[in-house]
Amino acid sequence: MLARTVTHALVGLEPRRVEVEARLERAQPAFAIVGLADRACQEAKERVRSGISASELEFPIRRITVNLAPASLRKEGSGFDLPIALAILAASDQLPPGALDGVAAFGELALDGRVRPVPGALVAAEGVRRGHLRQLVCASESAAEVALAGVEPIAVLHLADAVACLCGLRDPPEWPEPVSNAPPFVPDLAEVRGQERGRRALELAAAGGHNLLLAGPPGTGKTMLARRLPGILPRLDDDRALEVTRIHSVSGVLAPAGGLVRIPPFRAPHHSASTAAIVGGGGRGPQPGEASLAHCGVLFLDELPEFARPVLESLRQPLEDGVVVVARVLGRAVFPARFQLVATMNLCPCGARGDPAARCACSPQRVQRYRERLSRALLDRFDLALTVPRPRGDELAAPPGEPSSVVADRVRGARARLRDASPELTPAASDLLTRAVERLPLSGRGRARVARVACTVAALAGSESVEPEHLAEALSYRPPKELVE
Amino acid sequence: MTELATAVFAADTGAHLIDAPRSRRFELFRRGFDEAAFLRGLADQGLRWIARSDPRFPARLLTIHDPPIGLFVRGVASLAMVDGPTVAIVGARACSAYGGEVAAQLARTLTQAGAVVISGLARGIDAQAHRGALEAGPTVAVLGCGIDRDYPRAHATLAAEIAATGLIVSEYAPGVEPAPWRFPARNRIVAGLADATVVVEARERSGALITADLALDEGREVLAVPGEITSQLSKGTNHLLRLGAVPVTCVGDVLAVLGLDPNCLDPDFERHGAGNAALEPRLERVRVAVADGPVGADELARRIGLSAGDVAAALAELELLGMVVQADGVFREGLRRG
Repeated sequence: MLARTVTHALVGLEPRRVEVEARLERAQPAFAIVGLADRACQEAKERVRSGISASELEFPIRRITVNLAPASLRKEGSGFDLPIALAILAASDQLPPGALDGVAAFGELALDGRVRPVPGALVAAEGVRRGHLRQLVCASESAAEVALAGVEPIAVLHLADAVACLCGLRDPPEWPEPVSNAPPFVPDLAEVRGQERGRRALELAAAGGHNLLLAGPPGTGKTMLARRLPGILPRLDDDRALEVTRIHSVSGVLAPAGGLVRIPPFRAPHHSASTAAIVGGGGRGPQPGEASLAHCGVLFLDELPEFARPVLESLRQPLEDGVVVVARVLGRAVFPARFQLVATMNLCPCGARGDPAARCACSPQRVQRYRERLSRALLDRFDLALTVPRPRGDELAAPPGEPSSVVADRVRGARARLRDASPELTPAASDLLTRAVERLPLSGRGRARVARVACTVAALAGSESVEPEHLAEALSYRPPKELVE
Repeated sequence: MTELATAVFAADTGAHLIDAPRSRRFELFRRGFDEAAFLRGLADQGLRWIARSDPRFPARLLTIHDPPIGLFVRGVASLAMVDGPTVAIVGARACSAYGGEVAAQLARTLTQAGAVVISGLARGIDAQAHRGALEAGPTVAVLGCGIDRDYPRAHATLAAEIAATGLIVSEYAPGVEPAPWRFPARNRIVAGLADATVVVEARERSGALITADLALDEGREVLAVPGEITSQLSKGTNHLLRLGAVPVTCVGDVLAVLGLDPNCLDPDFERHGAGNAALEPRLERVRVAVADGPVGADELARRIGLSAGDVAAALAELELLGMVVQADGVFREGLRRG
């Protein structure tokens, strides 16, 4: 008595087809799972036994061998429960012959037979589509994700439902349509009083996708500004939304029954984060890190110099290539990580520097050590850097600023202009840039960076070409001398 | 020639000697000392030795009451570069961003005007003065440790840049460790080499004040940059002003003391500099507003009713012209020349 089901294991962001074979023999009753199954996978035995009994089906009193093929691929997680259970039921003739043709399964079983969702349903469903199968049996919470991949979900609440559907006794239950992602709460720019320079830099960052560094004493609104960036970024298009959703699906941070992630993600890891947490990795198979979770969105590093130096240096590869390559014993994975880096820092370790109302007690050596935690190579990646001084009292009493929606409209316009025809430097602007390179400590990369920002300034102004005043404004956002010297 | 032997003996014994001691120990040392071999060793390291009796020894330094027995020299320039107008720029190690900026601008403009800037390669004002001067020409650093040492270590690159066009000098032979008591001794050389000493920022008990005192003892001019009366960093400089030091309100004040013509600045510099005649009205408005006092970009924008982007552009252009300087997000007027 032999039966087969198909499921998919996740390797990084890639689905791998796994065949689940169950064989029943008349021998001493036993239950063995072979095929490089990890701990969670071995424990499937207990969940499957209990789940089948709870569904008022018969758990066969036989010698049961389950093989997960290919045997060389390491299987992780609890998504194999449902396919194992279905294979055993099919092998014990509790499912009609052919019921499992063209059907894959993916899900975890509860002891009472309910089907629970497992992270990565979207990726598994993409594997199903590529394998030319028709349907995927999954938890009803995962149905929306499965549908995104263009595969028909058999969304079930319980193992008994799954059996009933596969036997043709009933139609698959309706699953909730993906709600068009109720936007997560993003604070509005209107709440920021004053800070015109900071707001301007934020708008430029959004329009040009530039990396932004905000420096200044604590309490000047650096973090407040940064958190409002997603609100003025354009929504993600279909391709990008799918990429982001795939990463979020694998990491299990997707809202249940949510559709595609349309709002650019905003990730703000704490400064105690490890390298693996930021760029991806982990002891088991490689998992995407914060840099990948921020793909097509914003990676926000508050208090940049407090991050461990290796963590910051590890960000250089994704900043350059837009991908993270994680190599582990259990496999190598490539995660997309094209994010926009936004960071804040104080001007000295005690934070008082730059604040006229406080006295800084840091020795020059301490300030230097603090600033040296950031390599020049990393600082070079920030297109926009500005020092935010402490706002004055009357600034905080100012009326609310422009709301995010107005700024977002301008950003969208500028992006469209940059996409169609990027503005070119006029000769006068070129002259100014050459003069600036002579006078300022500006590297080759710095020069290119200034020119890029100047294009964004021009695009925001609706100008066909980059005029000297656009270039001058771009120059004012170069990293401060104290940091690069 | 016992001068080199004395300098090396001082280094070996950890003493500070400005004359050959009359001791048996030194006599023994002198007899066993191979001067030619030592000079060859120095030359291999790219170092030179100029004894006090050497005609190339700086005349100005010879006139102080305890001139060093000789100078070890590193760098490409000739020691004759300190025979022209020279100015020492000294100040606090833990200086403010403003003080550092003033030191750098003073040093740059004075170097352009033909003066040689001398300082002590310390952190803070000293380093800023050297950096500012390097933008316009060679500068001289005086060390308080062995000539082969870069102290502080963080300034090794700066020292290399100074040596590439100017000079690094020390009265201490290679291998002498930096020690707190050697720095006042170093300061007497800084003051002794300079026609005038400018103190930019100094706390109440600062090494820069020692330099100023030594300069006064030798009858050299002392100038001080006035600061806020409530700031610890101006206690020392304001004290000097009360004692009669010349206040530095613009570069011209220092040039006048040095006997240099304020109009001698090179023409290229003039183009960036005082040419406010041709300043666009947009830039002029921003310049005038900044001249009212240190100000953040946001407040500036509100005060003159320009958008944040326009103000940023104007400030960047004025910075390029050297008319506005930025430190920690606060904009100030650049140092005036006359």
